[in-house]
Amino acid sequence: MDMLIAPERLELAEAVRDFLSGTHGPEVLRRLDAGPNRDPAIWQGLVEMGLTGLLVPQDHGGLGMGLLDAALIARECGRVALAEPLVESAFVAVPWLVANGRTEDLAAIAAGGRKVAPAHQLNGWVADGEGAALDSIDPLRNLTALPATASNDPLLLDLGALMAAAQLVGLAEAMLDQAVEYSKIRTQFGQPVGGFQAIKHKLADVAVALEFARPVLWRAAQALDDAIESASLHVSHAKVAATDAAYLSAESAIQVHGAMGYTYEVDLHFWMKRGWALSGAWGSHAYHLRHIDAAIIGGTHPIGPENTFA
Amino acid sequence: MQLAYTPQQQAFRAEVRTWLAGHVPADPLLTLECEEGYHQHVAWERQLASGNWGMVTWPEAYGGRGLDLIEWLIFEEEYWGAGAPLRVNQNGIFLLGPTIMEYGTPEQKERFLTPMAAGEKIWAQAWSEPGAGSDMAAIKTTAFRDGDHYVINGQKTWSSRASFADWGFGLFRTEEGSQRHKGLSFILFDLDTPGVTRRPIRQLHGHPGFAELFFDDVRVPVENRLAGEGEGWKVAMATAGFERGLMLRSPGRFQATARRLIELFRQHEREASPSAREAVARAWMDTQAYAYNTYAVAAKIMAGGSIGAEASLNKIFWSELDRAMHRTAMHLLGAAAELRQFADGRMNDWLEGYMFSLSGPIYAGSNEIQRNITAERLLDMPRVGAG
Repeated sequence: MDMLIAPERLELAEAVRDFLSGTHGPEVLRRLDAGPNRDPAIWQGLVEMGLTGLLVPQDHGGLGMGLLDAALIARECGRVALAEPLVESAFVAVPWLVANGRTEDLAAIAAGGRKVAPAHQLNGWVADGEGAALDSIDPLRNLTALPATASNDPLLLDLGALMAAAQLVGLAEAMLDQAVEYSKIRTQFGQPVGGFQAIKHKLADVAVALEFARPVLWRAAQALDDAIESASLHVSHAKVAATDAAYLSAESAIQVHGAMGYTYEVDLHFWMKRGWALSGAWGSHAYHLRHIDAAIIGGTHPIGPENTFA
Repeated sequence: MQLAYTPQQQAFRAEVRTWLAGHVPADPLLTLECEEGYHQHVAWERQLASGNWGMVTWPEAYGGRGLDLIEWLIFEEEYWGAGAPLRVNQNGIFLLGPTIMEYGTPEQKERFLTPMAAGEKIWAQAWSEPGAGSDMAAIKTTAFRDGDHYVINGQKTWSSRASFADWGFGLFRTEEGSQRHKGLSFILFDLDTPGVTRRPIRQLHGHPGFAELFFDDVRVPVENRLAGEGEGWKVAMATAGFERGLMLRSPGRFQATARRLIELFRQHEREASPSAREAVARAWMDTQAYAYNTYAVAAKIMAGGSIGAEASLNKIFWSELDRAMHRTAMHLLGAAAELRQFADGRMNDWLEGYMFSLSGPIYAGSNEIQRNITAERLLDMPRVGAG
């Protein structure tokens, strides 16, 4: 029993954080919003970091790492509101292809030449697919409709929900950071607004939500990686906890920003809108809550103190 | 990350489970907040100690088993899963004990830790004063040196267990004219010392378990001071960290409550509202989240790390979770929620628990203070304005 994330896994995520924060700042989001939504140079950078091959087995040219590593990195993608379809292609589609023995495209995916847009019936559209364009509130989401080919495989749903949850945690963290920074520079009544307890307590509540969403996420990632029987329940738990944290963080952050937060000029909205999109994707809040309800109240999952890791 | 228990951990769980199955009282004890219930709980504490289960993480030299924090969590899961009584000794074993371990002299460890683990001495905490609750640095009670004694004068209040306990610990002003957190010392005292007057205070539930303490020229030997004179604040902050953080509220206790809540829901499913249904599912989710977080913190400490201001996040979470679970139970019980004892003779533990849960966001540093600490020390927000 060890709930610690190994230091080398954290170091890799840290390296990705440094890379992404250096190459994909708010100015990039604005540039992509003003022109074409994707930038081949950014994608190439992700490929060179090895991220497209993170979950591709080593004998197919990848790094052969696990879902916990991918979740740690998907969180970093959320932190910068990454516009490229890295998470869906490399962290959702790849492990699903591997699980289904469909290895023919893996080398091309790892090398960055091929992107896969996974679609599930619960959300029959995808980021960066080839169907008809759909208009998302998230200006960088690049949605296309693919209803005819959508799968209903439960594993695909679990992978998508897990990685959405990981991005939501990162998005929520980034919005909290933006709110904290703004609270230090915006003065009212002769002091930074961050000095007021009403503001402090609002953001402290976001910190609490995140502190108790993160371990649920890591536990779900490990459970899915270990393919334990209850993994799907833990993924639903992670999705609900991350969605709640993301909504709370977004609503708190916009409130702390005041009227500035309600403008397109402040960066916050990019994160907020991605949060709305991912909260509903890969099984809605209601879907995952119902799933948990059925397992817990319905009695199919053992409960109580000795069943922490059941 | 390895989410399976080792064979040794599983064997330990089985050992705990077997012992508890043979010893946990079949009938629930009376509340430890009344005199008769207090003595029942002390007897239970001594029975635990007789099996060497008083404090499993303590060194064997002091009556413990020298186990690690993961094993402690397993012990707690089994303890609450078995429906074992609340720990009347928790101020000693979870708060003062670790503090003495860190700051005590070898003589103090010898003198205090063994009787603590054995349940022979039950400890009260004497933090608050009438003018010093959340603002703990405002304490006024003095302990001035007179030869090899301190002479204590003043008043403490809301002192948990003090109506019946044997010993107390608290902060006292040992430097004349000192202000705020300077000039304070951490002193242990026998509650039967001449000059100590206890006035029990009836709590919300009507029981007299906590008390006001009046000190009138109370003479306490200097060797009862923990750490150096004037270092009391630092020591008290360490104790407060234990209180908010890992030790006081192990996840097993909340998981046991969540399980009982789910059972209660199933009994009331026909008339329950959709919002109650969601609240019950969330009780499971949040207790699980709390458990994962605690396991992660335990692993971090075992790997040589420490927890600081994160203990504030923890305290906010468990105290509000406990209140929410009991509130949900009150809603599910409906009209029966008001009964202290149900028609079939069972005590209404949910009502008692709900009243107790209301104290959680207040004691161990109010949640408003914890949110300030979170904002200022973890989020690095400006320290201006009140708090």
